[in-house]
Amino acid sequence: MTAGTPAWATHATTSAALGALAAEGATGALSGERGIVYLSEGRVVHAESAFAPDLATLLTRSGAVAPDGWWEAVDEGGRHHRVGRGLVDSGRVTAGALEVCHLGALFDAAYFVLAHDTRPRRFRPGAVHWLGTVRSVPVDVVVRESRRRRALLERIWPDPGIDTAPLVRVADAGSGDLPLRRGRTLALVDGVRTAADIAAALACRTYHTLVELRRLAADGLVTAAQPAPARDRPGPGAAVWDDPDTALLRRLRDALEAL
Amino acid sequence: MPGIDESLLEAMRLPGARGASLVDWISGLALGAVGDAPGGDLEATAAETAELARHVAESGSLAPAGGTAPRDDEPPVEDMIVTTADSYHLLRFVSTPFDSTVFLHLWLDRNDGNLALARIRLAEMADRLVLG
Repeated sequence: MTAGTPAWATHATTSAALGALAAEGATGALSGERGIVYLSEGRVVHAESAFAPDLATLLTRSGAVAPDGWWEAVDEGGRHHRVGRGLVDSGRVTAGALEVCHLGALFDAAYFVLAHDTRPRRFRPGAVHWLGTVRSVPVDVVVRESRRRRALLERIWPDPGIDTAPLVRVADAGSGDLPLRRGRTLALVDGVRTAADIAAALACRTYHTLVELRRLAADGLVTAAQPAPARDRPGPGAAVWDDPDTALLRRLRDALEAL
Repeated sequence: MPGIDESLLEAMRLPGARGASLVDWISGLALGAVGDAPGGDLEATAAETAELARHVAESGSLAPAGGTAPRDDEPPVEDMIVTTADSYHLLRFVSTPFDSTVFLHLWLDRNDGNLALARIRLAEMADRLVLG
């Protein structure tokens, strides 16, 4: 590689930078404004965002894997980047279940990294996630899916304020018989929680929670507690993405507090 | 212990199988696919069948009487069957102990496929994918 600006850094958006890294067959971690995408040989192997519950949350808070079992697997496999393999080999979760949950978390986090497609922050060449490769996805599939997901939300109810603002139930609106997921989501709308808070409380993927919330908004049952800030990129005050090490520390603290 | 691809390949060994995929019924994403896609466009097929599956999964009218679903976080419907002049489409909801909203879609040739057998096998595959 020639000295100077690497190819990824010349791109104005995270998705374009990912495309350039995929073309190089790069391995490493690309940080965007709202999260990190991990690449292995040009394919996406993982993604994380403060807006989306991570794999540990999805697996342990649902009861699918006992928290002790999860942390044992992290202790045993973390340094060798094979936590995922360890979870399967030790029988804590099946290969199929881990793949389904991992892809759910990957596309969920990638949506938040790519839906507001701003300039990438940095790329750490060679960085490998401690989970190890569970399943990899081509970059163009992840980018296309994120765009499609954004369009789907717009079709349901074109109010992006629902995605980031604290949410409130509409007074006097009868909820009737709601489908299970939608009813569970509505039950946690309390005027304080945001979509990401509700997703974390339910151990549900955030995008899938957004779909339910936009449908509830379309039905006139839920609205943003305050008007969405009149900015191009509405950023929730508390959940600004920071460096991965800080995010990890915060998760550890949350986990310790949950004990 | 099967992963997604192994489960789909196993489904493809059923008589008359033309294509198999694992699809998220809320987002419309195909998490995996083998064989051909009906209509020739995997992503379009996944999005369309997901919309169909979502309506059925959310249907109050089709739910078992008296709330006898096995668990309160599972879709009330087990599977869906669509028949055409030349095909069977079998969609089997997969229940997982964590948040997921996926179904297996098996496309069978109508001349060679055995719908009753495929329905039993696909249910077993859906369980094995998650439970091992």
